[in-house]
Formats: sequence, structure tokens, C-alpha cells
Amino acid sequence: MGKGVRIQELPGLGTRYDVDLHSSSGERVSIVVSRDGKRHLYVFTAVGDDPAAVLELTEEQARKVGAVLAGTFFSD
Amino acid sequence: MHANLIGLGALILVAGLLARFGRRMGLPTVPFFMLAGILLGPSTGGPVAFEHPEDLDILALFGLVVLLFHLGLEFPVEQVLGSGKRLYIAAGAYIGINISAGLGLGFALGWGAKEAFVIAGAVGISSSAIATKLLIEMRRLANAETPVILGIIVIEDLFLALYLALLSPILSGASSAGELLLRIGISFGYLAVLFGVARWGAKWIGKVLDSREDELVAIIMIGLVVLVAGISAEIGVSDAIGALMIGLVVARTSIRERAERIAVPLRDVFAAIFFIAFGTSIDVGEIGSVAVPVLIAVGMTVVTNVTAGLITARLFGLNQRGAANVGLTVLGRGEFSLILATLAIGAGLDERVGPFIALYVLILAVLAPILAANSKYLARIIPDRLLHDRWRYVREETISTACTHLDRINITETDEDECQECVELGDTWVQLRMCLTCGQVACCDDSKNKHATAHYEDSRHPLIRSLQEGDGWQYCYDDQTLVREPAGSSRS
Repeated sequence: MGKGVRIQELPGLGTRYDVDLHSSSGERVSIVVSRDGKRHLYVFTAVGDDPAAVLELTEEQARKVGAVLAGTFFSD
Repeated sequence: MHANLIGLGALILVAGLLARFGRRMGLPTVPFFMLAGILLGPSTGGPVAFEHPEDLDILALFGLVVLLFHLGLEFPVEQVLGSGKRLYIAAGAYIGINISAGLGLGFALGWGAKEAFVIAGAVGISSSAIATKLLIEMRRLANAETPVILGIIVIEDLFLALYLALLSPILSGASSAGELLLRIGISFGYLAVLFGVARWGAKWIGKVLDSREDELVAIIMIGLVVLVAGISAEIGVSDAIGALMIGLVVARTSIRERAERIAVPLRDVFAAIFFIAFGTSIDVGEIGSVAVPVLIAVGMTVVTNVTAGLITARLFGLNQRGAANVGLTVLGRGEFSLILATLAIGAGLDERVGPFIALYVLILAVLAPILAANSKYLARIIPDRLLHDRWRYVREETISTACTHLDRINITETDEDECQECVELGDTWVQLRMCLTCGQVACCDDSKNKHATAHYEDSRHPLIRSLQEGDGWQYCYDDQTLVREPAGSSRS
């Protein structure tokens, strides 16, 4: 995987991708892609070790968000 | 043909509604299915849905078979084989401590040797479904200890197969030690044959199962699964193992994903019936007589789990929080305990085993999520010395892993041997520090410019390490504490 993304297997559940945003405020994002297709999106700030936000996305929703984030979404 | 559809429908509906009520409070579903069976069963006062619980038998048995088939189907062989030796040691410790404590308790109760083996399994093997759901609900998927917890419960699933292979011959009532050994031999031999089929024969099984139409896949697959389970039972190995192993076989075929999709709804409904049916066999009057042993068992389980959590944390270099989370997340008991209880009832063991396991599962069902959610209180009282085998001192301070920023470590090695900023200014420095987040090398606080601390103030990268030969310490600015490198973090 690309630089700054750590991959961690979660046995029986899926795979976790820890994305280091290299931001000065120390935010981190972890994404768990579970085997049933669900995506769990964890957002951490520099303060505290509990996630600041957690989103559970279906495959469909994840695609939508992902397309917008990746800049491949075109409205007609 | 006369069937009690009203009773069946009412049972399943009540079970579903009870479980939904429980889910609202964050409780697991399985104990509520069982509770529905207990409440509407023939031995409890009030409305009775089923006068003859044995009418449910074939549905319940089918539920058991699909439950274990699905478990085998989902078993992450690659992830388990790919995990390190340390995980096996941790899982071995977890299983060893829990099973032997359970065995000790079982014999201490004096209900009999067979009963002791059933109780050992029921008390010792945790519910993977409950633990996994807890981790998701408590938003702990990104925690450092989570891969370890999941690894342990997955290895426990595998252990269940071996335990069933051992238990079925014991329960079968062999008349002599030789016969018992022979039956255990057959049991494990059969297990080995099915492992062989999973390893080398999956391709052929896949060919038999594969069809373009999901309908046909579903029918052929279920037929095969039930047949294998039945043959297993006939040989004297339990039907549960047969189902689990055929699940492992199908998992290696090309239709794995479709098989999973087909199996899930079947498992949900019929496994629920299995748990309900178990509930209907429980006599509420008996529960009072087992209350004390159950409370002892619950207390023991908490102690053994926390102990196993500490051992795991020590192995993986987790901090207090990790140790407490490992110990308290794997506390839930559910499907496996009830399977063993059903085996005990089927084998005609002591009548107290069923109510004992039922009450035990119910209490832990409520207790486990509460304890897991409050693991931080346990974390606060775990002394450092339980977690560190290597105490190291830097000046007067002990090195602890209480730092919560270990996941910010991205880089630990560098070839840099000067403070770039000082070189530019033409200044000198005393010692060098390295930022573990971005790798910047800068001068220490005894130096004139204190560039390392300045870098922290700019970037908020919390961790540094000393580049001094032989120093080997790390410091966290945020927690203002010296830290040890996390032995459990695997970076790729």
C-alpha cells in the first residue's frame, strides 16, 4: 500500500487500514473493511484515544463517499 | 400431518421481540432466544407454546448444523495461519487457563466426570459472536489490542472443533478405557480426513456445488452439509463437527461468497430455533438449585479472563488499557456453551448441567457488555509490574507504556547524525533526539536551541527517542512520560 497507510488484519472480521494524514493537528483516520462489505470509518484527533467520530457505511454508501473523496464523482 | 404452527410462530416471534428489546440495551441476542424458550416452555408457569418440546428437535438440530457450517465457512484460515507464534501462545494461555479452571470447577461440583468435561467447555470457550459485536459497538476496532482479541477468539473456534472431537467419544458411554481411546482415535481420524478433504478435495466439492442459479447452490449445499453432519453423528463424532468441517471445505471452493450469503439467513433463523429449543428443555425450578455454583463459575470466569488478558498484554506489550480490554471483552458466553449443554442433555447427563449453563450464559450475557464497557476502571488498578517483564530505568523514572500515542510511531530508525537546524545556524548541540512520527532529527533540551521540543510545539508529533548510543528510551510530550516501544505493534 501507499506510504502512510498501515494494514492490519482483523481475523474473522476484516482488514483495517490506518491512514496517517500527516496533518499538523495530528488527526488520524482508520478504516475497517469488514468481510460483509461494511466499512467502519474511525476519525481520531490528537486529543484522547477514543475516536472523535465513527461512521458505519454500507458498501453502497462507502462507494458514494469514496467517489466524492477521490474526485471521480460527476453530477449530471 | 399435524403441526403446532401457532406455538412455533409465537415462540420465534417472542424470541425475536425479546432479543430486539435486549439489543436496545446493548445485550447479546442468544440468551434472549434461550429466555423465550424458557418462558414459553412446558416447565414454566404461564402460557405454554409447546407441550412437547421434542417436536422442535429436527428444526433445532438443523439450526445447530447451519450455525456450525457457517462458522466453518467464515473461518479465516489465511489470517490465522499468517498470524505469529505469539498469538498462538496467547490463545493457548487463554484456553488453557479457562478450560482447566472449568474442569477444576466441574470436578469440584461432584456431578460426575462427563459433566465436568461439559462444564469445562461451556465455561472455557467464549462466544465469538458476542465479542465481535461488542468490539464494533464499543467502537474499539481501531484499538491496538483488537487484532489480538479477534485472533484469540478465532483460534478458540478452532479449538471448539478439537474439543467436540474429544467430548463426543467421552459422552458416548464407552464401557472400557480401550474402547474410549478407540472412539477418540476414530473421532480425530475422521477430523483429519475432513481436514484432508478441505485441503485437497475442495476443488471437486466446488464442482459438485457450483451452479449458475443460487437456488440450486443453496439446495445442493444444504443437502451436502446435513448429510455430512448426519454421517459424522453416525460414526460417533458429533454432527456439530461434521457441519463445521464441511464449512471449512466449502470455504475453500469457488462458491464461498455465495455460500456465505445463502447461509446467513438460514443460520439466523434456525440457530435461533436451536437456542429456543434449548430454552424449552430448561426447568425453571431447577435453576434455584444451581444458583450458587453458577455464581462461583461467573466469578471464576471473570478472574481467569482477566488473568489471560494480563498474560496476553504482557506477550504483546500492550498497556493497561489493552490488558483490561482483552480480559473483559472475551467474557461473553453464548452459542458454544449452549451447544455443549445440548450435547449433555442428549447424552442423559446430570439434569443440573442444563440449568447451570443456561443461568451462567444469562448472567454473563448481561455482565459481559457492562464490564467490557467499563474496562477503564480495571485498567487503572493494574500495576505496571504485571505488564512489564523488562523494567528499565532512565534516570529516576520507570519506563511505562501508559502513553496513548504509540500508534503515532511511524519511523524509528534514521541515518541522520546532526541537528539540521543547528548546522544551518552554525550552533552545536549536546545530544540528538528523533521524532518518531516524521523522523526529524533535532537537538535535546540540554542543548542551546532545544530544536526537538520546538519541533513538537510546531507539529504536535508526540513521541521522540534518544539517538544517543545505548540509550534506547522514548518520551511522549503529550503524556509527559517515558515509554517503552510497543512490542505488539506490527507495522507494514
